[in-house]
Amino acid sequence: MPALPNYSLYEGVVRITRVYLGPAAGRFIDRQVENHLHKAPAELTPADLMVLIDWLKISVSHLTEDSEIVEEYVSELHKLADEQAKPKRGKGKS
Amino acid sequence: MPRMPGNEPPFSGLSSSVLTSHGQRAEDEALFTSIGDGAIATDAFGRITRVNPAAQQLLGYTEEELVGSWLPKKLVSVTAEDKPINLIDRPITRAFLTGKPISEKIYYRRKDGQKIALALNASPIILKGRPVGAIEVFRDITKEKEIDRMKSEFISLASHQLRTPLSAIKTYTHMLSDGYLGKLTAAQKKSLGTIISASDRMNELISTLLNITRMESGAIEVAPKRLRMDKIAEDVIKELALVAKNKSIDLSSAVKGKGDPCIKSDPLIVKEVMTNLVSNAIKYTPEGGQVRLRIRPRAANVVVDIIDSGWGIPKYSQDQVFSKFFRAQNIIKRETTGTGLGLYLVKGLIDALGGRIWFVSDEENGTIFSFSLPRDAVPPKPNEQAKYL
Repeated sequence: MPALPNYSLYEGVVRITRVYLGPAAGRFIDRQVENHLHKAPAELTPADLMVLIDWLKISVSHLTEDSEIVEEYVSELHKLADEQAKPKRGKGKS
Repeated sequence: MPRMPGNEPPFSGLSSSVLTSHGQRAEDEALFTSIGDGAIATDAFGRITRVNPAAQQLLGYTEEELVGSWLPKKLVSVTAEDKPINLIDRPITRAFLTGKPISEKIYYRRKDGQKIALALNASPIILKGRPVGAIEVFRDITKEKEIDRMKSEFISLASHQLRTPLSAIKTYTHMLSDGYLGKLTAAQKKSLGTIISASDRMNELISTLLNITRMESGAIEVAPKRLRMDKIAEDVIKELALVAKNKSIDLSSAVKGKGDPCIKSDPLIVKEVMTNLVSNAIKYTPEGGQVRLRIRPRAANVVVDIIDSGWGIPKYSQDQVFSKFFRAQNIIKRETTGTGLGLYLVKGLIDALGGRIWFVSDEENGTIFSFSLPRDAVPPKPNEQAKYL
């Protein structure tokens, strides 16, 4: 089984967003987490992800007309959400 | 009795919940259509889903031409100077970025190309806690804008006309006071001192009115130059030292940290902002108090804090501080002079420089006004951020 990525959830969201929004991604995600989830970016949990994806989708949709790009972006975020939802195996267990 | 075909009550085959849902939808539709202001709703992709007749009339488009199109592209939003507004700066985008409804005066371009001034409110539509679209409600303010422009023109003209006789009053009063026209008694000198200080105040007021007129008509020209914020702070402190001394106020400035205090901005506007804020702090601080000016260089900008030990701003009126003619109740009782235009002007000037202003205040304990100015005051080119999409 492939090892789970070692970046945090927040970093994962920023990494995906950077592909679409460039260097503004970090600030964009920070504002979305703070303004819509009312928490610090570092406190982002897998349980927040679906609501955050809704907000990211609608916010990015107002920056580009290309709905295919938006869908692709959202699909990448959903993949990350699925990854997070998978039960994690503890070290040393077979 | 068996029910015969043809005599069933209408919608007899539908459950009551479906009927309620249909009824609700019809009511929503009627409400949306009847709003006197223009209203446009979009889906989660920013595509227009509904447009009411008022919006169609204001924008010159039919419902068919609008529904299904991407709002930011279909309805071009422009500045007063006719430049397209950055996608990220449009009220609807900012409503999604901040999670708050945004109210703003903007221009939309009608189908016939004509620019129309609107007061617009953009807000996300939230259904069961999730964003499903957005709504923009707007009304035509072209007439209000025209009245504003005429008012500004009048103030500008009146101010210029007032300045000319005032210059003569000041010149001759100074000549009298300095003894060029004969020796004066102590009482006469005292009276002339009062005239001089009153005409100085009037001059300041005229300058403020002229600056506000320029600001409101968008005529403020920013001429960015490389400048040192700490040097400007020192100049302001020097200029206001006597005023502070007269109230036994301890006035000082300092740079916090080892960052670079240099920015590229307009030195005259920066000095005007700083002078206004420091002079306000002195004015609204009781005798024997303190006013400190602190420069905080940061990576992307430089922050200036003006910290006073003054009377503070009551909590209930803090949201009006940057409004025109605002004066806090606790201040009016103590300080009768003042127009309530200073902070309104300061906010406009900082906006023109691409900066931001905010404050924290505790009544009776003092206020900290802070403003930040970007390292480079040149505004970004329209749609620059879109290159990454």
